[in-house]
Amino acid sequence: MDRRKKREKTTVTKPSTVDSQSPPKISPSEAFIVTLSSVFGLALALYVANSGFSIDLVTDPSRTIFFISLVELPIVILLFSRYRQNPRKCTYLQALGRGLLAVPIGALLNCLGAIALGAPVTFQFLPKTINWSLMMSLFTTVPASCVLGSSWAHWKRIFAQTRPNGSVEYLICLPAHGAVIGGWFGAWPMPLDWEMPWQEWPICVSYGAIGGYMVGLVASCLFVLASSQHVKQT
Amino acid sequence: MKDREVATRRRKVTGKWEYTWHLWATLLLHIIAIVLFTRGFLLTRTELPYYSNSSDVSESQCVYSSSHNNASSWTKPAVNRLIIIVLDALRFDFVAPSTFFPESKRWMDKLEVLKDVVSKNPTSARIFKAIADPPTTSLQRLKGLTTGGLPTFVDVGNSFGAPAIVEDNFLNQVDNGCIEHLFPSLYEDDWDVLISHFLGVDHAGHIFGVDSTPMIEKLEQYNSILEKVIEVLEKESGPGSLHENTLLVVMGDHGQTLNGDHGGGGAEEVETAIFAMSVKKPPSSVPVEYDTSSCQLDLDGKNVCVSTMQQLDFAATMSALLGIPFPYGSIGQVNPELYALGAGSWNSDASQELSESDIWMQNYANTLCINSWQVKRYIDAYSASSAVGFSSDDLSQVASVYAQAETQWLCSTKKLLLDKNKGTDALVPALKKQIEAYFNFLRTVAELARSKWTEFDLYMMGTGIAIMSISLIFQVLVILRANSQDGATLASSGYGWIFSASTFAFFLLGMRAVSFLSNSFILEEGKVAIFLLSTSGIVALRKSVVKGELLKESVGFLLLCTFCRFGIEIGLSKQSATSAFMKEYTSWILNIASDLPVWNHAAEVVPILVLILLAFWLYKATSGIFFGWTRKIVILCTILTYILIIVHWITENNRYVLAFMPESIGRTYIPRIIYAILLGQLLLLAFAQLFKGNCSDCKTNLVAKTTAMLAAWSSTIILLSGKQGPAVAFASIIGGYCIMRLCDIEDENGPKRSLSIGPFPVMQWNLFATCLFFCSGHWCAFDGLHYGAAFIGFEEFMLIPQAIILTLDTYGFSIILPIFGLPFLVATKYKADLGKHVLFRQLSQIYTTYGLITAIMTMFTIFCVTLHRRHLMVWGLFAPKFVFDVFGLILTDILICLASLYYFDQGKDDHHHN
Repeated sequence: MDRRKKREKTTVTKPSTVDSQSPPKISPSEAFIVTLSSVFGLALALYVANSGFSIDLVTDPSRTIFFISLVELPIVILLFSRYRQNPRKCTYLQALGRGLLAVPIGALLNCLGAIALGAPVTFQFLPKTINWSLMMSLFTTVPASCVLGSSWAHWKRIFAQTRPNGSVEYLICLPAHGAVIGGWFGAWPMPLDWEMPWQEWPICVSYGAIGGYMVGLVASCLFVLASSQHVKQT
Repeated sequence: MKDREVATRRRKVTGKWEYTWHLWATLLLHIIAIVLFTRGFLLTRTELPYYSNSSDVSESQCVYSSSHNNASSWTKPAVNRLIIIVLDALRFDFVAPSTFFPESKRWMDKLEVLKDVVSKNPTSARIFKAIADPPTTSLQRLKGLTTGGLPTFVDVGNSFGAPAIVEDNFLNQVDNGCIEHLFPSLYEDDWDVLISHFLGVDHAGHIFGVDSTPMIEKLEQYNSILEKVIEVLEKESGPGSLHENTLLVVMGDHGQTLNGDHGGGGAEEVETAIFAMSVKKPPSSVPVEYDTSSCQLDLDGKNVCVSTMQQLDFAATMSALLGIPFPYGSIGQVNPELYALGAGSWNSDASQELSESDIWMQNYANTLCINSWQVKRYIDAYSASSAVGFSSDDLSQVASVYAQAETQWLCSTKKLLLDKNKGTDALVPALKKQIEAYFNFLRTVAELARSKWTEFDLYMMGTGIAIMSISLIFQVLVILRANSQDGATLASSGYGWIFSASTFAFFLLGMRAVSFLSNSFILEEGKVAIFLLSTSGIVALRKSVVKGELLKESVGFLLLCTFCRFGIEIGLSKQSATSAFMKEYTSWILNIASDLPVWNHAAEVVPILVLILLAFWLYKATSGIFFGWTRKIVILCTILTYILIIVHWITENNRYVLAFMPESIGRTYIPRIIYAILLGQLLLLAFAQLFKGNCSDCKTNLVAKTTAMLAAWSSTIILLSGKQGPAVAFASIIGGYCIMRLCDIEDENGPKRSLSIGPFPVMQWNLFATCLFFCSGHWCAFDGLHYGAAFIGFEEFMLIPQAIILTLDTYGFSIILPIFGLPFLVATKYKADLGKHVLFRQLSQIYTTYGLITAIMTMFTIFCVTLHRRHLMVWGLFAPKFVFDVFGLILTDILICLASLYYFDQGKDDHHHN
């Protein structure tokens, strides 16, 4: 639950009024598709990187993470832009644009957070840090930006208070939190003296983040499922 | 509990004790716990500054060089020259034939040459299984081997520098120097003892493990080297040749585990091998009663015998063989089998009546006499001079055993030995009895020394841990009781917030505490602390976003964390000069510093500017609020000392030395004036306590008191910290301010403000203090102390003032200032209309919480050293960390008690009001 608050800070410059209209709803099957495609995208990216370019997170973290980002970017932006708020005021293309815009901003925020927590800042690690931040940005800010736009109140509610409202917000909130918390825990093995190659920045942090992201996705899927059943019953 | 009853009684008398008695009780409990634990844990042995001289032996009753007229020898020299080849981390199974072990492994049977020699010449060559005393680190073992003593705590701590130096050599280069020099030396005649230390096996073990190809290659290489050495010796072994009477010893200093680790007390680590070969063939083997060897056929069907000995005995045996004085502190006994290898040279002057083995026994008894006399002398000198000696029971037991052996010697054996005319019939049994008596004595001493010097006293350690746990429970109970007292306010306002914040604080605390259980995390403790501090900062930012206020403070706090982080990394880079960090950072930070003169100037000017800023800020901050005259004086003195510090720094740089002021004034007198001013300020503040302030607003009073106290300490601490001092002080002010402000939003949920301070801000305060410890360039090791700081203002060494100054430097930013600054946290929460009673309760609560957090950390450190007491790094890493933490805990407790005396002065008045 760390770094995203900063993100809200940048968007605070143009505070918007809280939209009173109900957040968009999606059916459990759609949520399932989103989850599945995200997980599938990650798996595909790792598989192709391994078999096609014979690299993986340990041997070439920088390029692998970049490759993951490349694969995930269209999946996340295209999928989440469909569930944008106020679809009437905001076209699909606009949502895509917002999502793209959120990539560098989110990367910057994640990068700053990582540096505050102790990520190395030498030139040697620069590309790794940048690529890792891009990936984290895809996990955290990009979906939110596609869906919520620049609505400060929504951002605050989802990220600072962790009070998602409605199925889409679950899909934004839980995986993002999962990725950050997973990354936080992933950093713990780094100081150990096992001298394993994967202990280097940002490999185990990426493992943690990806793991947390997946757990978040699955959890949000379950939430959506549970809440839809709840709705049916009432 | 007695304490509590006493306290209840006291509460009726004075209000102040109601809030502070438990702080004193905690201090007492902690001191008892730590004293007990430390007595059980830290192995203490004082080193005596004495040396053995060759003339000393005349004090003994033994038959020393009487038959020889050789003044320089204690015992009859048996060998002329000694070659010792030390193979670092030589496992016993590298040397012994694989048939000695249940299973044959690929690293066995590689040093073929040694067992071939042994099976060919069973009388002149032997393989021993040598049992080392832990800790099995190279420097310790080498020291133990040469002095014949047992290892001590302090020098183990220093031994980890050496491995670090060799580490960056390549495996293959490690030994090349040794090999280059060994062989030429073999042909020279200007030495008596040649020692050659090969590190290759140790490195191969550390890097690749025992079961690895590099290890096998290394062993094969050694095999060929040893083959050549033995060849050379045998070629030169004729009468009158260079190596006519040479003893070759090939030995390990300690073993290693299969992973290549060593340092602990496991069987694999303590079992090493000694191979000894005498070039001159001794006539016969050892009398059967002293022979410990067991023999087996090796894979080639040759008979190989292996004996067992203690590594402790090595120094004494070698001294006896060479005929040199035994090391003063040796407590080993001369090993009969190893000593027998030198028997070849005694034949000449022996009388014809005695058989060879009788001559040997005669010599051996005499040697043991000298040996026992020397050990007894050491034990007596040790118990006379050392503070922590042996108990009188132990000493009297040792003395009686020695007296028994000695009377026997004087009454019968010596006479028999000197009287050559008597037959051997009486002599041999007497000798045997005599040897047995000496064995008994030496064994008793070795056992006693082992139990006192190398065994942890688990009972004491357990008691210490138990008392420490009791103190923790006691603190928790105190906090819970206080919480239940103002439980009403807690429950009504935002309990949920406090709950979640406390949970998070406990989570951070738990992560940090658990991280102490691993040596890697202790090594990187600074990074872990800043990681957790930043995390707490991020959580605080989250909250301030929700509230929509104090954004500046929380972002500022995170930025500060980021700066601290770099400070800590630069500090850690000094700790491990070989780390990757140093290599990366020297290139672009430190190089800039040395290359650009602008940078040099900036490094001098910036601290001064920051200090001026601090002085100005102090002046501004204190001029506004109401201040007593004593505090005004204190503040003004502090501003004066800041100016003095600036003058001191300027005069330190020769470039700016002012012509009219001698250098020594700036160097010596200014710091002393500053120390004196600190003392004066503290006395003044204590003096002001005597007069009851009549101010109505006790919040302002508390703030003023805290400010004055911090200001008084700050100047000395800044001076001692050197040029980084002002920056760290500045950072601590900003950090403290941010934590203070952020704790304000903490439980401000709903209309009512809760007055109690949750553990979250206290936890942050504690973490921040830890970070400052590392930021100011310290770390938990003895080489992390800034010894230079102790000499600020002092030209020569004076123990007590310099120890105090060193403490001030080490713990100034991390313990002294944070503890005296804690009332700020209370002051921000406090509203004027609530009365002093509430204020003091809060203050007591916050101090208890702070003490509890420190105690929990120390508790985990204690756990950790207990668990890892046989770990490789126990003396290099865990024990220093333990010493730092324990010292920090006691200092924290003492300062908390002092602070309670200082801040709780008006409790009595208040009590009557209520």
